[in-house]
Amino acid sequence: MTRELARAAGTVVTMTDQALRLRRLARLRELEPRLRFAAESERPAPRPPSLHGAARLAAAIGGREVVAENGSFVVVEREIHAPFDPRPLARLPYPFDPQRPLFLLDTETTGLGTAAGTLVFLIGMAWWEGPTLRVVQLWLPDHPDEGAFLDALTGYIPRDAWLVTYNGRTFDWPLLTTRFRLMRRPPPELAGHLDLLPISRALFRHRLPDARLASVEAGVAAVRRRGDLPSALIPDRYFAWLRRGEAEPLRDVLEHNHQDVVSMARLLAVLAVRLADPAGHAAAHPGDLVGLARVYRRRGRTAEALMCLESALALPDPERSSWTGGTTFDRGQAWLEQAALFGSQGRSDEAVDAWQQAIRCGGRTAVLGWIGLAKHREHRARDPQGALAAALTAERLVAYRRALGRFDPFAERDLARRLRRLRLRAARRQGFAQRGQIGHAIDAGPPDGQAGRRGGEEHVPAA
Amino acid sequence: MRIHAELDTRAALERFLADPVVAAGVTARRTLPARPADLLPFPDWLDPALTGALATKGFRGLYRHQVEALEALRAGSDVAVVTPTASGKSLCYNLPVLQTVIEDPHARALYLFPTKALSQDQLAELRDLSGLAGIELAAAVYDGDTPAPVRSVVRAAGQVVMTNPDMLHAAILPHHTKWFQLFEQLRYVVIDEAHTYRGIFGSHVANVLRRLARICAHYGSQPQFICCSATIGNPRVLAETLTGRTVTVIDRNGAPSGEKHVVVVRPPVLDERSGIRAGASGTARRAALSFLRAGRQTIVFGRSRVAVELLLTGIREGLREGRGPLERVRGYRGGYLPNERRAIEAGLRSGEILGVVSTNALELGIDIGRLDVAVLAGYPGSIAATWQQIGRAGRRQDVSAAILVVGAGPVDQYVAGHPEYLFESSPEEARLDPDNVHVLLAHLRAATFELPFGAGERFGPEPADDLLAFLAEEGHVRQADDGRWYWASENFPASEISLRVAAPENVVIIDTGGDRPRVLGEVDLFSARTLVHENAIYLHESRQFHVDRLDWDERKAYVRPVDVEHYTQAELAVTLKPLETFAEAELAAGTRAHGEVMVSSLATIYKKLRLETNENLGWGQIHLPEIELHTTAWWLAVDPAAVSGWKRAELDVALVGAGRALQTVGSILLMSDPHDLGMVAQVRSPHAERPVIYLYEAVPGGVGLAPRLFERHAELVGGARELIASCPCLDGCPACTGPRGEIGGVGKELAVRLLALMEPERVASPLRAA
Repeated sequence: MTRELARAAGTVVTMTDQALRLRRLARLRELEPRLRFAAESERPAPRPPSLHGAARLAAAIGGREVVAENGSFVVVEREIHAPFDPRPLARLPYPFDPQRPLFLLDTETTGLGTAAGTLVFLIGMAWWEGPTLRVVQLWLPDHPDEGAFLDALTGYIPRDAWLVTYNGRTFDWPLLTTRFRLMRRPPPELAGHLDLLPISRALFRHRLPDARLASVEAGVAAVRRRGDLPSALIPDRYFAWLRRGEAEPLRDVLEHNHQDVVSMARLLAVLAVRLADPAGHAAAHPGDLVGLARVYRRRGRTAEALMCLESALALPDPERSSWTGGTTFDRGQAWLEQAALFGSQGRSDEAVDAWQQAIRCGGRTAVLGWIGLAKHREHRARDPQGALAAALTAERLVAYRRALGRFDPFAERDLARRLRRLRLRAARRQGFAQRGQIGHAIDAGPPDGQAGRRGGEEHVPAA
Repeated sequence: MRIHAELDTRAALERFLADPVVAAGVTARRTLPARPADLLPFPDWLDPALTGALATKGFRGLYRHQVEALEALRAGSDVAVVTPTASGKSLCYNLPVLQTVIEDPHARALYLFPTKALSQDQLAELRDLSGLAGIELAAAVYDGDTPAPVRSVVRAAGQVVMTNPDMLHAAILPHHTKWFQLFEQLRYVVIDEAHTYRGIFGSHVANVLRRLARICAHYGSQPQFICCSATIGNPRVLAETLTGRTVTVIDRNGAPSGEKHVVVVRPPVLDERSGIRAGASGTARRAALSFLRAGRQTIVFGRSRVAVELLLTGIREGLREGRGPLERVRGYRGGYLPNERRAIEAGLRSGEILGVVSTNALELGIDIGRLDVAVLAGYPGSIAATWQQIGRAGRRQDVSAAILVVGAGPVDQYVAGHPEYLFESSPEEARLDPDNVHVLLAHLRAATFELPFGAGERFGPEPADDLLAFLAEEGHVRQADDGRWYWASENFPASEISLRVAAPENVVIIDTGGDRPRVLGEVDLFSARTLVHENAIYLHESRQFHVDRLDWDERKAYVRPVDVEHYTQAELAVTLKPLETFAEAELAAGTRAHGEVMVSSLATIYKKLRLETNENLGWGQIHLPEIELHTTAWWLAVDPAAVSGWKRAELDVALVGAGRALQTVGSILLMSDPHDLGMVAQVRSPHAERPVIYLYEAVPGGVGLAPRLFERHAELVGGARELIASCPCLDGCPACTGPRGEIGGVGKELAVRLLALMEPERVASPLRAA
C-alpha cells in the first residue's frame, strides 16, 4: 500500500516541471478567449525607466520631489487665508476637543474597498497656522515608494491630532491603517476623529440630493465646483500614470483632492459659526437646527435640543432655492418634536401649547398633534375623558382624510388601540358605579397595561 | 406483541436475514472482530487543568492515536490524523490548542471546517472542554452568519477562530490587515474533515492555504498544521498537497470497538432482460423496521433529501397503529433548522430517539454518540464514505450491524457484485491538483492582491514569476522597477472565484417558485448545458426543480420547484482533439496515454428517465452553443491490426461498451463523482487514425484524475472486464456497458474482447485477486 503510493507520487506528471508549465501557459494564452481579448486590446508595453520617477511627477503637477532613504514622494503645498475659531465646535453633540490640533485628511485611492489590494496614492492634509489654512498633498510616485510615503504622513500628523475627515471613519482611516499594517508599521496615533459624513447626513441631507462632499458644500456653503473630476475616474488616471507614465491627467486628481480638503474646512466653519454657536442660529437653515435638536436629544442633552427647536421655530420659512436644495422646513414636525420634548420634561403647559401649534398646521401633523395630546392627557395629565375626546377628534380627522384618499394606516392602528383602551377605561369606571359589570367589561378587551405595552408608548419605561 | 419483542442486535440481524426476500439478495456478510481500547496514560506535560477536565468526563487516559498526535505536535511536526468516525479526533487538536493557550494566552488557532454546522458543533465541544478545565477561552465561529458587531470582536480577540475555506478565501485573507493579531500569533491551523477537500474544491482549498501561508510569513508566524481525515487511500499525499508541508501521519486508531457485522444486500431484479432492478429504498425500509421494532437504535442513510423524506414516510407508515416506536423516529438533513438538528443530535445521544433517517449530513463529524445499526440505502459513492456511514454504528462494547442496500445504478451494482472491493481494497484516494493552471492563476491574482510578490518568490513548489508575467498581460498585475509584482486594478479578485466550482463564469439558478425570486445556486458554464437546459429537471439539495427558461447570454436559469417521477439526462455530442501527450506506454495491442486535450461539446438532446428504474420516458432537443473545454484526459488507442477483422458497427459497440465500463470503474477507483469523467469513443480518431477511447476530466485543466488513470491502468481495464463479465444481465444493461437499446446484441462480449486487447501482459488486478 505505502509502496504503491510512493510509486504513484513519483511518477504522476505534476506541474513541478517548469518547462511544462510554460508550455501550458503558452497554450492557455492561445485558447482562452478572455486572455486572447485582453492580450489584443491593451498589451501595456513595459514603461521605459526614463518615464519613471517622482521628479517627472513633481514637474507635471507643480510639486517638489522629496527623496528619502526608502523611496521618494512628491509634496504639493498651498496656503489659504481662512481665519477660523474652532472653540464653538466643542458644544456640538460630537466628540471633539478644541485644545487639540485639528488635522484635515482626505485620500485618493485605487478602489473603494479597505482590503489589502487597494492603494492610497494621494493624501490631502490641512491644518490651521493662525489665520492660514495650510494644505499639503502627498503623492505616491510608484508602488515601491509606499514606505517613504507612509513615513511622511506619520511625520505630518501631530501625535495629539484630532482628525477631521469625510467618511474617514469607515474608509480613509481604515484603509490607511491597512496600508501601514501591510508595511508592518504602526499606524499613527490620534487623539480623536471627527467624521463629517454622518454629521452632514444628520443635519443637511434633508435638503440635498445626496451626501457627497461636493453636494453638501454646494448646499451648505453655496460653493459650486467647476470641472470637478468625478471620483469614479480617479483610479484609472493613476493606473495610466503607473503603466504608461501619463502625468498630465493627474492634475485634475490633484485639484479634486484639494477641493475636498478645502470643502471640509468650509464645512467646519459652517458648523462652528451657524450651528454650534446659538448666536449664529439666526443665519442657519431651520431644518438643519431640527436635525441638530434630534442629535442632542439622542445624546440626552434635552436643554440644547429644546434651544435648537426654539431657534428653528423662530426663523421664517426658508426660501426655496437651488442652493439650499428642494426640501423646505417642516414646521409642524418641529412643533411635534418640541411638544414631545416638553412633555418628557414634565413641562405640561408648554407641551400642550406646542401640540396646539402643531394642530393648527393641519393635515397629518394635526392628526399626530391630537394623538400626542390624547397621550399627554391620558398618561401625564390623568384626564381620561379629555384623552378620549382628543382621540375621537383625531379619528374624525383621519376619517376625513381617508375620504380624500389620504390613507394613514399608522394613525388608524394607533387610534383603534387607543380608543378601545380609553373606552374600556370609561366602561370600567362606570362598572365600579354599577357593580357586577367589571368582569364583563374586562373580557371585552385586554387590560390597560398590556394594550399600552403593545403600543410601545412612552409611559412604559424603555428596557 | 411479537412484533415489539426487544432483541439484541445479533438476534435482530439474524431475524432480518432469515427473511427469504432479503436472503436471496445477500452478496456478502462479514464479521469484523471486536477490538479493545489501546489506552495510554495522559502525557505528563499536559496541564493538570486539562487532565482534570478529561477525568471529569470519565477519561482514564488517551487513545494511542491521540497521544501520538499530541507528542508529534509537541515536537513541532505538522500532523495528519487518519482514523474512523467517532474515534475522538477532535481531542487531537483541542488538547494541543488548549495546552498552548494555557502556556501563552496570546496564542491563536484557526479551525477550518467544510460546513457551518460542523463549526457550531465543534465550538460547543471546545467550550465544554475549556469550561471543565476552567480556562477562559475566547473561541468563536466566524462565518456568513456572524453579526457585524461580533465580527470585530472575533478579529481582535478570538483565540480560536472557527470558519470555513470559503470564508477564509473571500473575507479573511483579502482583509488580513484587520486580522493582524490573529496572524501574528497563529500557532495552529486545524483542517478537519480534510478528505472532503478533493477534486476541484480541494484544488482551490490547497491554493487558499498557500495564500494563508504567505500571510502568516508576512506577520512572522509559523503555524503548525493539523489535518484530520476519515480513512482514505492517500492521507499523506492529501495532507501534504493541501498544506504544502511534510506531515507526520497518525493512523493507529486506539479507540475500542465491539464486534460488527456488515451485510451487503442487492434488491431483487424486476426484469432479467433489461436488467432493471428495484431501488434500494424498499429493502432499506424493511431492514430499518426490523431493527427499530427490536428496539435497536438505528440510523438510515438516504442518498438525497427526497430519498430521506420518502424513507422516513415509509418507515413511519410501517410503525403506525402500535406496530413500532413511531414517535421515536426522526428525519435529519440540510434544510432543518439548527435548533431542530441540535435537538435530534441530543436525542440520539441520550437514546430518547431510537431511529433517524439522514442524508450524508450526519456522515461528517457531528456528535450523535454510537448507535446499534446503520442502514445504507444506496452505495454512498465511495469506499471511504461507506465506511464513514458504517462507522456510525458501533458500540464500544456490544455487537453492532451495518446493512448496505445497493441501488440500481452501475456503480452500486458493481459494488454488490464485488463486495471484496469494499472489504479488501484500500479506500479511494482523494485527488486534487493545486497546480491546475486555471485554479492556480485565479488564486495568484488573489494572492497578489493580498501581498505583492517578490521576484523569484514561490507560490506552491515553484517561483511564480512566469505566471505573474502572464497575469501582467491581462493588465491587473504589474512589475515595478524594484522587480516586485503588485496588484494594480480596481477589481477584487477573491470575489471572482467560487471554491466549489471550476470555471469563473457561472450560470445563476433562480427559483421563481416563491413569493419573490431567489438565487438557488450556480453551476459552471460547462455543466449548465446538461444540468439547466430548458425543461431539465434540476436537483438542488435533492429537491426537484423544472427549468422554465435558460437565458444563455445573461447566464441565468429560471426554475420552479416540482415533484415529478422522472429526471433528465442530456446528451453531449463531443469531439476531442489531443493537444499534447504527457506520457505514453505500449499495450498488448495498442497504446495508453495521458495528456492535454481540447474537448468541444454540443448539447444535443435530453432524455426523461424514470427515477429508480432509469426507464426512458421521452426526449427533447437542446439548442445551445458549442463550448470548448481545455482539460486533461487518459486514452486508449487500439492497434488497427488487432481489430482488422471487426465490422465497423461491432467496433463501435465494443468501444462504447468498454468506454462506459471504464468510466464506471474509473470513477470508483479515483473516488470521484461519475460526472467528473467524460467519455468519448472514436472508431477512427482523426488524430491517431485508429480506434480510441478517451476519458477526460470535466473541469477546465483537470484535477489530476487523468494521470492517475494512466497509473492504474491494469486495475482499470481489469476492473472494467470484471464488471461486464460478472454482470448478471444477458446482453448489456445500465449497470455495465450501458442500456441494451444502444449496444444491443453481443455488446457485452465484444467489449470484453476489446478490453482484453488493452491489458498489459501479466495482469495483476487486485479486484480479481480476491
